[in-house]
Amino acid sequence: MDVKFDRFASVAFLAVGVLFMIGSRKLASSSYGSSVGPDIFPFVLGLVLAVLSIRLFYEAFRGKVQESGKEKLQYKPFFIILLSTLIYILTLETIGYVITTFLFLFVCFQTMERNKWVTSLIISAGFSGIIYYLFVNVLKGTLPGWPIWFS
Amino acid sequence: MGTFDYLMHGFETALTWYNILFAFVGVLIGTAVGVLPGIGPMSGVALLIPVTASITGGLPPEQAATSAIILLAGVYYGAMYGGSTTSILLNTPGESSSVVTTLDGYQMAKKGRAGSALSISAIGSFVGGIVTLIAMIALAQPLSTIAIKFGPAEYFSLMLLGLAAVSGLAGKSVTKALIMTVCGLLIGTIGIDNVSGIARFTFDIPWLYQGVEFLTIAVGLFALGEVLKTILEKEEDDGEIAKIKNLIPSKEEFKESAGPIARGSLLGFFVGILPGAGATLASFFSYLMEKRISKKPWKFGTGAIAGVAGPETANNAASGGAMIPLLTLGIPGSGTTAILMGALMMYNVQPGPLLFEDHPQVAWGLIASMFIGNLMLLILNLPLVKVFAKIIETPKKYLIPIIIAISIFGVYAVQVSTYDLLLLLGCGVLGYFLSKNDYPIAPLVLGLVLGPMIENNMRRALTISDGDYSLFFTRPLSLTFLIITALWLLIPVLLKKRGKDVVINIEG
Repeated sequence: MDVKFDRFASVAFLAVGVLFMIGSRKLASSSYGSSVGPDIFPFVLGLVLAVLSIRLFYEAFRGKVQESGKEKLQYKPFFIILLSTLIYILTLETIGYVITTFLFLFVCFQTMERNKWVTSLIISAGFSGIIYYLFVNVLKGTLPGWPIWFS
Repeated sequence: MGTFDYLMHGFETALTWYNILFAFVGVLIGTAVGVLPGIGPMSGVALLIPVTASITGGLPPEQAATSAIILLAGVYYGAMYGGSTTSILLNTPGESSSVVTTLDGYQMAKKGRAGSALSISAIGSFVGGIVTLIAMIALAQPLSTIAIKFGPAEYFSLMLLGLAAVSGLAGKSVTKALIMTVCGLLIGTIGIDNVSGIARFTFDIPWLYQGVEFLTIAVGLFALGEVLKTILEKEEDDGEIAKIKNLIPSKEEFKESAGPIARGSLLGFFVGILPGAGATLASFFSYLMEKRISKKPWKFGTGAIAGVAGPETANNAASGGAMIPLLTLGIPGSGTTAILMGALMMYNVQPGPLLFEDHPQVAWGLIASMFIGNLMLLILNLPLVKVFAKIIETPKKYLIPIIIAISIFGVYAVQVSTYDLLLLLGCGVLGYFLSKNDYPIAPLVLGLVLGPMIENNMRRALTISDGDYSLFFTRPLSLTFLIITALWLLIPVLLKKRGKDVVINIEG
């Protein structure tokens, strides 16, 4: 547990709560008729969230900073995989499912452990190909297939 | 038609060839989910919702809902069976409700009795599952008849109770759990308000008009969050897998475990019905109880079979018990049942008192399939336990990227939108940070599922009373629920102030 994270989170949650309260005040002017409009529920929730985050701030402030031995985090593979996931998502619709999935899996397999690249190749090709075939041809679902210039 | 006729119709539904297949695939994947450390029942079910949605796409809506929920529920109780395998063989629980099984299970394995420990836990799980199913059948009709008489005010208070119960026990800090609940409720308000029809918090982005999709949030926070955690905190593989020798327990072992299994079934069932108290709590209680009433309490921790039989029975009974409030009242009592509820709602099937009337096929088909699924698990687990034990050896380097790929495929197949994929990734990162810092995720998902219903009931109640809030306190049943809600939240705080240890539910 990280007290610093809690302090930061409490401020962030407070902001979210207040923003929801402000946002629901704006809704009030646009609704009419019923005495219980669409604004009440989010307003009350925003208020509750604000109160709770103040309480969290207080708890985090009082909390003793625990010096637990810093565990070694694997930042390098984490960021490579995170970045490849992002690229995968952004290129999925333009380049198509099969190619992006194949590349994504291959990169990730190699990031996790850099050897046996033949096995990695086979598994990533197999996974993307089989999923695409099953979903599009057998189940008649929609997936972006191949890039436009390819077919 | 009486309950028996309904049940027979349920069996008719459950015994069609594809539903048998769905139940089989469900329990098979469930067992794998239970065995693999790193993915729990919650992330397993969340991950499979979109996949099942695309598989069942060709069926008529009612049948699609039935088949999907049969598969997903199979994953849920299958994971409860599988969780014991790694606890016993490797001393690492596959999911949190099998933590206590490691205490005696691994000791038994060390002494060469892994086989009997595994088979007793499979038998116990089976008995626990069947006992709760019978109780569920007996309770379903009466509970729905009572619940049907509830007005909006009662429903509002009851759902508040459900929320409070799950968040009051989840995680290490009640404040954090409540914050997560409120966040879930707030996310639920995004989109077009279905009473007044105006857009709320959408910032004129069309993608947000239909609200933030439950599916994306659940898969992101649970499945992706846990995967990212495994990448960052790479654990060294430790321990050797114990050898399985003899699968058939001796007569003496049967005798010793009969009592714990019987007690575990009942205990697990009652703990399971209570909202908020999940399978983890049930197995924990069962272990404590067996140790207390045992004639040889010093044997516990050194390989007592009662310490395996009781908790394993109880956690399965509890997961069945948790289905009862979900199906009859529409209130999920745990994180996993909240996800199941979200799945049902994706198919336009509203769990609750009307479920048994409006969708008898779904409700009774599910119940009947749970009989079949439990039987399959028993058969699968006894001879095939050696095969399942092999799953533990699946290299993480292949498993993790494939889980990411499945979650992206699943969400895209259902939502067909890159925005949802971006949200998915965001939720994954958020999920990692939140759970790392003890912010429980289950209450958030529960809030997201229950939020719109809570709001609708509140507004309906207030419209009837013309904006008079005292309505919630003057109707006796509603007041009772509210009082229990307040006590549920306050008692743990007071106990903590007095320095007592509060039992915490990790599963949520």
